[in-house]
Amino acid sequence: MNSETSGSVISAKKLTRLYQLGHSQIIGINQVDLEIAGGELVVLKGNSGSGKSTLLSLLAGLDRPSRGELIVACHDLNKTSDSQLTHFRRQIVGMIFQSFNLLPTLNVLENISLPALLAGKAIAEIRPKAMALLEWLGLEARLNHLPAQLSGGEMQRTAIARALINDPAIILADEPTGNLDSRNGQIVIDLLAELNRKWNRTVLIATHSTLADEIATVRIGLRDGMITDHP
Amino acid sequence: MRNFFFFLRLFVWFSLRDMRKHMGRVATVLLGIALGAAVFSSVRLSVNASLDSFAKSMDLIAGQADYVLTRPGGHVPENLITHLWNHRAIQNASPVLSTYTRIAQAGSEPFLLIGFDPILDRPLRYWQIATTTDPKTVVWFDLLKEPDTIILSEPLTRLLNRKPGDRLLLEHVHRRSNFKIIGKLEPEGLALAEGGRIALTDIATFQEFTGLFGKVDRIDLKLKPFATARDLADIRQMLPESIQLNPPTATRESGQMMIRAYQLNLSILSFASLFVGMFLVYSLVALNAASRRHELAILRSTGASAYHVFFIFLAEGAFLGIAGWLAAIPIGHFLIKYLLHGVSQTISTLFVRVRVDALSLSVFEIGFSFVVTVGISILAAYQPAREAMRVPPKEALEIAQLGMRPRKSPRQLALGGLFCILLVLPLSWLPAVLGMPLPGYVSVLLLFVGFSLLAPWALQRISHRFSSVLRRRAGIPAYLASRYVRDSGTRTAVSVGALITAVAIFAALVIMIYSFRQTVEYWTYETIKGDLFLTSKMGEINRFRYAIPQQVIDNLQDYKSEVDILPNRRFFLNYGKFPYEFELLDIQRFMQYASFFWLKGDPHKIGPMLKGGEGVIVSEVFSNRTGLTVGDVFEAQIEESYVELPILGIVRDYRTQGGVVFYSMPHFNAQYHQTYWGGVRFFFKDRSQDLDLAVAKLRNEIIDRMGDKVDMYSGKGLRGAVLRIFDETFAVTTVLLLIALVIAALGIATTLTVMVLERSQQLNTLFAVGASFRQIRTMIFWEAGFMVVIGELAGVVCGFLLSYLLVYVINRQSFGWTFLYGVDWGSLGLSIPLIMITALAAALPAVKMVFRQPPATLLRER
Repeated sequence: MNSETSGSVISAKKLTRLYQLGHSQIIGINQVDLEIAGGELVVLKGNSGSGKSTLLSLLAGLDRPSRGELIVACHDLNKTSDSQLTHFRRQIVGMIFQSFNLLPTLNVLENISLPALLAGKAIAEIRPKAMALLEWLGLEARLNHLPAQLSGGEMQRTAIARALINDPAIILADEPTGNLDSRNGQIVIDLLAELNRKWNRTVLIATHSTLADEIATVRIGLRDGMITDHP
Repeated sequence: MRNFFFFLRLFVWFSLRDMRKHMGRVATVLLGIALGAAVFSSVRLSVNASLDSFAKSMDLIAGQADYVLTRPGGHVPENLITHLWNHRAIQNASPVLSTYTRIAQAGSEPFLLIGFDPILDRPLRYWQIATTTDPKTVVWFDLLKEPDTIILSEPLTRLLNRKPGDRLLLEHVHRRSNFKIIGKLEPEGLALAEGGRIALTDIATFQEFTGLFGKVDRIDLKLKPFATARDLADIRQMLPESIQLNPPTATRESGQMMIRAYQLNLSILSFASLFVGMFLVYSLVALNAASRRHELAILRSTGASAYHVFFIFLAEGAFLGIAGWLAAIPIGHFLIKYLLHGVSQTISTLFVRVRVDALSLSVFEIGFSFVVTVGISILAAYQPAREAMRVPPKEALEIAQLGMRPRKSPRQLALGGLFCILLVLPLSWLPAVLGMPLPGYVSVLLLFVGFSLLAPWALQRISHRFSSVLRRRAGIPAYLASRYVRDSGTRTAVSVGALITAVAIFAALVIMIYSFRQTVEYWTYETIKGDLFLTSKMGEINRFRYAIPQQVIDNLQDYKSEVDILPNRRFFLNYGKFPYEFELLDIQRFMQYASFFWLKGDPHKIGPMLKGGEGVIVSEVFSNRTGLTVGDVFEAQIEESYVELPILGIVRDYRTQGGVVFYSMPHFNAQYHQTYWGGVRFFFKDRSQDLDLAVAKLRNEIIDRMGDKVDMYSGKGLRGAVLRIFDETFAVTTVLLLIALVIAALGIATTLTVMVLERSQQLNTLFAVGASFRQIRTMIFWEAGFMVVIGELAGVVCGFLLSYLLVYVINRQSFGWTFLYGVDWGSLGLSIPLIMITALAAALPAVKMVFRQPPATLLRER
């Protein structure tokens, strides 16, 4: 996947996601229009319930829109089949979660290698890449440790490595520093910045924290499911 | 009281409301418990109904008698009554005779006919004749006055479609008689014996009908209130040597003893279903405790004590037990109809004749099944409750990743399991306690516990061993499945334990039934050899107490040129409380055509001694029950003779109704006293002819000449009937173990569903990092596959060990017999994959559950 992309890598028009809760309809996001060029570092801000997570889940291919158009890295996510979405999640986006979401029965190396194994790559092919990532993230000494044996910062760095193993064009991070102390949080933000600047990945960070404000190239505000602030 | 209501409210808020949200899995567990409880209760109620019916009949027939005079294997002389009446301590003495008879019509059902003296018997037994329209009629007096008169019970009048005034042609060994029905019994007292199918007649009429002139089956005695032990000794003194004086309960007790062994075995087997259901309760309560850990921490942090938490989960177990027991009621109602018939038929065939028309609900049995069901549910909830009470309140503040909490080391559990398994063999060698194989049953329990404790370690080792191989051969889903199963700990192991138990029971019973059947088949074809069998009319139901008429014997001599005629006589006796048969037969000729199934002793040495009348051989059951073995002396009062003979050998014999002792009939006649023919078997001398044709021809000829006096069975038919009875006996067992398998499959389904729901975050993460729906579903099937394969393999191994216990310990201590061990590889080989498919099908609900929560919930803010 060519990491240098010109033009919009994310394009959304009147993007809407509604949820049915009993007899009520809840608006996740409403009529969102969005254009994000490749190579940007986007910080998505908003209070709880503003729709950040909904938007992120749509961009990640974890959910489908109720209405509107959504094209990510030339994939029309409205029209893709399940198997195409699977490919999309493997190859196009890498997800980083607030609560790390590492598989507890796999060690660090295995957690990192997981998306590549799911994509059908051989372990011999995956290992050098995984080791390189481990080295970059300072986790070489932890490669055989289980998540329960890691600190919060180490777990999040492992999650970052996992998100990068298949060389995706887009990194989506949902509150990546939410469960970390300020020191580790800063480390993670710096890593994401490096991914953007050095490796030219498009990075989208949904966060309350102000740590990411300095590194953002685009800032988007969300309130009640609608964009309030987008240059 | 306030505390109780507070706790109840807490339970409703915390547990019941949560259960309402997960009705599917709760319903599954309730179904498992309900099935187990229904099976357990129905089996016990069915057997108890037979036990009660038997005991009631015996008690009603025994009446108020203090003692009963009998002659073992024979009849009591009627003239003894006069001497007994002269004794100062005897208040009443009543002669009694009984036999099974039937109306002279093909296919009619036999019923019990009692012959007595209405005047002498009145103080001893209660019976009431229904009021007649003619006030001048004194029915019981007509019984004395008129010959061939009979009084029927109400159910019998309905069954035979007769009323007072009608005639009834009844048949017996020597004759047919046209009885006049002179009255109907009120449904109370003696009329309730034998399931209400009973008739009374005067003793003289009875004797004429049966040919037992001057003889009675027994004399019932009632002593005067002041009678002392000395009086009793005095009465014994005046009796001939061959007459025994016993309490009337002796017959009842010996019959009950045999039924109880059967009841215990069936109860244990049905308990297995409940035991497997226990794993379901453990699974669900453990899941509730683990998945709501954060809530427990919140509960603790807001003021609940650790014991509040403990009792909440114990109450969950109790709730599941109570609700499951209640749900068992309609299932039991359906099941009991099938079981009642099957069980009573088995008991009648194997042990003593019982007739159960209606079920009476025993408060004790209902209470017992409730206590056992709720008890084991609470026991199952105990461990998860203890773990839950350890959740510290500070966890309320942690936004923790739900990782694997440190669990008990599988290695420690495996060592415990190994210890249990090692105890099995020494424990099984211990003797029975009060006639019950309790050490054997404890061994069985230890075997199940041992293998269940080994399960986590086995899962861990096998998954670890094969994970890299699986990754190469079967791809990442299989690899992930193996890793999860490896590290999932006791939760998965519990369901595997349930499957091990169910598969072990299945395998053990398949082996035991096959071994038993093969052995019985061999015994049938070796010992129940004969081309044609002949008895007096209704001989079997009347326990061969009536001689084959001399006219028949004389007529049979006409066939001596073509057949060898082997007479026999069977006496039904008691060794203490243990019933057995003493069989006389022409051993010399018997051993020309057939053989015994030897267990102990050299047949080449013993054969000539046996033919020479130098001793007896006994069955394995007789030897195990009495403790007598080769070299000991067999002693018994048989009719007027006291027999003392050495035991020469022990043989296998699977005859019903207790053990057997064999002796040479010609030598008995010569050394002791002449006895009559009770039965005959024929062997055609020309073995090269078409034997089926020859048997049919001979049979038809005998029927033409004397068919109204005898019953006949072809040897082939008799051997087939023995095996058919065997198969029918085990039909009940087969149903029970299939139910246990269903419960185990429910356990697998529940566990897998629970594992999926518990890991929804992990599974959604897999989805998010690129796993397809198919890969995740395949992983679930692989997890199920691991659990099922390991459960089955361990279950089969456990089953083989269990089969050893069943064959050589439990059967031996319960019934006195063992059999040749054999494995039906075909059935086992076929059934194991079937069980596997069933259990894997149980994974389908779990697979459907995988994305019940959409993957987007991964990103929901906390």
